[in-house]
Amino acid sequence: MSGETCTYREDDVLAYVSGELEAEADLEMSVHLAECEECRESAADFRALDCVISDCCRDEAIRWHVFPSPFGRMFVAATSRGISRITWRELDDAGFEDWMAAQFPGRPLIRDAEALAGLERQLTEYFRGERTDFDVEVDLSVLSEFERRVLEELAEAIRFGQVIPYSELAKRIGKPKAARAVGNAVGANPVPIVVPCHRVVRLDGSLGGYGGGVEYKEWLLRIEGREDLLKAG
Amino acid sequence: MGSYGPELQRHLQRMLPSDADAEDLLQEVWVRALRSPPDAGPGSNVRAWLYRVATNAALDRLAVDRRRCCALDGRQPELAPEPEAAPDDLFQQLSPAGRARVRERVAALPPKQRQAVWLRWVEGRGYEAIAARLDSSPESARANVYNGIKRLRRELLDVWTKENDR
Repeated sequence: MSGETCTYREDDVLAYVSGELEAEADLEMSVHLAECEECRESAADFRALDCVISDCCRDEAIRWHVFPSPFGRMFVAATSRGISRITWRELDDAGFEDWMAAQFPGRPLIRDAEALAGLERQLTEYFRGERTDFDVEVDLSVLSEFERRVLEELAEAIRFGQVIPYSELAKRIGKPKAARAVGNAVGANPVPIVVPCHRVVRLDGSLGGYGGGVEYKEWLLRIEGREDLLKAG
Repeated sequence: MGSYGPELQRHLQRMLPSDADAEDLLQEVWVRALRSPPDAGPGSNVRAWLYRVATNAALDRLAVDRRRCCALDGRQPELAPEPEAAPDDLFQQLSPAGRARVRERVAALPPKQRQAVWLRWVEGRGYEAIAARLDSSPESARANVYNGIKRLRRELLDVWTKENDR
């Protein structure tokens, strides 16, 4: 019956496909779709979109959250696989979102305090000196295989209060000559504190650098009872 | 419920180009109704529910035919002899380049629209919840969802058309 004027708009069809109509209006739209080719095409497209959206975004959302910490505003983010970012440096919300969007192009960014409440609690306890270990998954998939291996070894082997020289860490992953590359990998750590890159120091006992600012490295080592290292540096 | 059979069949026949398809889909509606029957309590509307199930089944069939035949120029889609693809496969039917283009277009939505669409369509959240997340009103949350979906519809038609023109 094309040719008849249709009084429904694209929004009405979308409301129907979204299941937002009352029973009577829903029935009316069902019947109308059999009559109106244009609305029928809209509805078919919207139905197809449902699959496309979930298909192309499945597991891709990145949830983030910001909370106060002794280091300032602490930004944290996680994928479905685990924590993917921890940072506290000079970022406002929009800056953080822009940065994440550049790091993970095309992935939906969702602010979600609930999803990251566990990490917030654990970090807060750590800062208070009430926790020595983190019980969270991390997602290091943006890194190279080598970088991942370095950070996984570090997270696994070097516990609260311990430190390790870059060269020793290189030996532990079976690449004794790669101390500099190991240093770069440690510097690329997207999830500081949880993966404890602050526990990697120079062979001469000095602290070495820290992506988040060396004063924070000192702070973290103090939390872990290693004031002795600060004097040496 | 079975008393609605004849009118549902007519409804499906009006929506679909082939009567055989209509008969086919009517069977699907009954299967679906038996598997998860509608709430039969007072105030429920079994007829509306059945029409909704039938209409959705027909729309999905149309979406698949439409993509396959690219009937955007108004041609009647011909019934393809090969087995029907589920609408879930539509995205998978695109070439890798097509899928990449779709991802790019989704990514290119304004951030608020993208988040709103995600929360509504993937996570199934209500507009109140989305508004709280986006720090906006429910009306504006709904507008973000609708505008995002309508834009994606145009973008995807574009990708699909190009894909089928090749």
